[in-house]
Amino acid sequence: MKTRKIKVAAFLFVIMSIGFSFTSIDKITVKGSDTMVILAQKWAEVYMSKHPETIIQVTGGGSGIGISALINGSTDIANSSRPMKSTEIEKLKARYNTLGVEIPCAKDGISIYLNKANGVSELSVKQIGDIFAGKITNWKQVGGVDSNIKLYGRESSSGTFVYFKDNVVKSDYAPSCQSLPGTAAIVNAVKKDKFGIGYGGAAYAEGVKDCKVKKDDKSPAFAPTAETIKNKTYPISRYLYMYLKSKPTGATKAYIDWILSPEGQKIITEIGYFPVK
Amino acid sequence: MLRKQLCLRNLTKPLTMKKLLIVLLLATSFLSKAQDVAKSISIDSLKESVDQHSMKFGALDERLSTMESDLSKLTKFKVSGYIQAQFDQYDFKDHIGPGSSTQAAPVTNTFYLRRARIKFSYEALDGVKFVLQPDFAFDKVSLKDAYVVLNDRWTKTYSLFLGQFDRPNYELEYSSGSMETLERTRMASIIYPGEKELGAKLEANFDTNYNFPLKLQLAVLNGNFNLGTTANQTKDIDSNKDVMARAVYSIKLPSKGLGIDLGAHGYFGSTKILAQTTPATVFTDVNNQSFTPNVGDNLKKGWYGAEMQIYYDFLGGMALKGEYISGTISETTNPAQVNSAFNFNKVREFSGYYATFIKNIGEKHQAVFRYDVFDPNTKLTGDAVTSAGDLKISTFSFSWQYYYDENVKIVAGYSLPINETSTTVGGDFLKDKRDNTFTIRIQARF
Repeated sequence: MKTRKIKVAAFLFVIMSIGFSFTSIDKITVKGSDTMVILAQKWAEVYMSKHPETIIQVTGGGSGIGISALINGSTDIANSSRPMKSTEIEKLKARYNTLGVEIPCAKDGISIYLNKANGVSELSVKQIGDIFAGKITNWKQVGGVDSNIKLYGRESSSGTFVYFKDNVVKSDYAPSCQSLPGTAAIVNAVKKDKFGIGYGGAAYAEGVKDCKVKKDDKSPAFAPTAETIKNKTYPISRYLYMYLKSKPTGATKAYIDWILSPEGQKIITEIGYFPVK
Repeated sequence: MLRKQLCLRNLTKPLTMKKLLIVLLLATSFLSKAQDVAKSISIDSLKESVDQHSMKFGALDERLSTMESDLSKLTKFKVSGYIQAQFDQYDFKDHIGPGSSTQAAPVTNTFYLRRARIKFSYEALDGVKFVLQPDFAFDKVSLKDAYVVLNDRWTKTYSLFLGQFDRPNYELEYSSGSMETLERTRMASIIYPGEKELGAKLEANFDTNYNFPLKLQLAVLNGNFNLGTTANQTKDIDSNKDVMARAVYSIKLPSKGLGIDLGAHGYFGSTKILAQTTPATVFTDVNNQSFTPNVGDNLKKGWYGAEMQIYYDFLGGMALKGEYISGTISETTNPAQVNSAFNFNKVREFSGYYATFIKNIGEKHQAVFRYDVFDPNTKLTGDAVTSAGDLKISTFSFSWQYYYDENVKIVAGYSLPINETSTTVGGDFLKDKRDNTFTIRIQARF
């Protein structure tokens, strides 16, 4: 009797598994990194104009928000300006039994924005870290005028916030660091504040000056340009990622293939980032 | 006459012009003075207004900073929780089944609140975290987790847990809210009653800082959690500390969509005889031979386990998880330290394992099958087994999970335990006991 029940249950399991596995999606939702939002919107806009049968919905919110949305099933693609954390992979494993699919889709340098009137024009990675950690508080400590440094940064849900904290600040941000809701807001704040300093994607640096960055005290300083980011001489550069729950199929696969094609990668350069291929 | 008039006209004209000029000069001077006053008033008031607004902005900025500081404290405080409400249908007729039933009028179905938990965590400082998790039942509140974690800030590798936490084992550390099957295996509930323990646990995760996917855990525990009366669980009852150690290595092959976690753990403890009865209580050893332990004797309690979890991205995710544990367990019926799931005066060599297969189907569905076996006495089989507690139980568990949304999931599950039969034990165990359970559960999580 029990064997029969087990057989019936196993048969139902196989049939339902096959049936549900071929479910496809036509609408693609993309959520996450604010750094990538302009790029993602441009990709979506160009792709939809060529493939009107596909609807792509793009929203920002920050890398952390995008990855949370991927885990709870409310987005198909999570854009992230940092790699997924092991705790996030564990959550993905628990819910979807996959490790997730990581697609590096562009390269970006994190610019250090300074006001154009600021006399300082180059800093080492350590100096930048100490400034944002609150250990260096006056511009005269780094060769500038005697004035307090005003810090502008991102909110904790931002991938740039996490990347910058892990790779540059290497401790907690100074409590005086003002959290702003987006890279554009940081650029705007630094533009208006003679003694301000901020960080964000290289593509956003309009109306402010890019600080040249030295890997250490003895190294030469480099500005974030296409060449220095590509050849990794600019020390604060990173990949931008797209994350999926599992291997893409159908419309999602076609969209990602197009992003990685020369046509999709060309858009990256137009926006101000750097292609991976 | 005409000449006189003309002369007079000539005389009056310059006079009028002069007057007009004076009036104009006076007026201009007055007006310019008035304009100067107005200008001065306007600049002053503007300056005053700017100062006032600046002060207001300053005050607002101050209030905003205070609010931001308060809010940032709130972001350090996290609350999560879940409720599992279910309906159970028990498949038995002739004998007493699960629940408080009698042979004459057995309970065949019931609504049941399986778990109702809220987890509070607070990250006080960088690297310091407090966790508190009560479990609510209609008649009591019990504490599931209550611990402090100190994470090392420098290498970001080590974490020290102090308090009441999960024992270091895959099945126990896997949250009850995320679990694919309705319940943990019989083996886990017997050898690790209540899942938690009081003690200290040191974890080293070499993945965070060194990109080496190895995790090590070492725990020193009281060893009497969920054993005996509640009062006896708050502190150690024998001063002997049990030790657990676990290592997990993760292999990731992202190009193949494959991830494999391999691990092993060991438990090194004892059961101390705290009291003896008159006449003395007789125990049986691993060969079922009688012996009488003295007060203060330590009975062997220790085992080793191996585990593996495989994750594979094939038409959506799928996973195969398994664990094998073998060793010696000792328990006593002394009410101060009794294990309600293994209520015997025995020392036994045991073994147990499980294999769980999980397949994600589309975005919202998940099919789960588990086979688990627990043999509490590997030295005896069939009719040689003289008590029901020594019989091997194999359990088939099926479940189908539907994720309604990010907070709610509905689970339908069927559990078929199949026991080893023994004519010596007799009763229910002459054949497979009728003890299957069908459950439909709704879980709401936030």
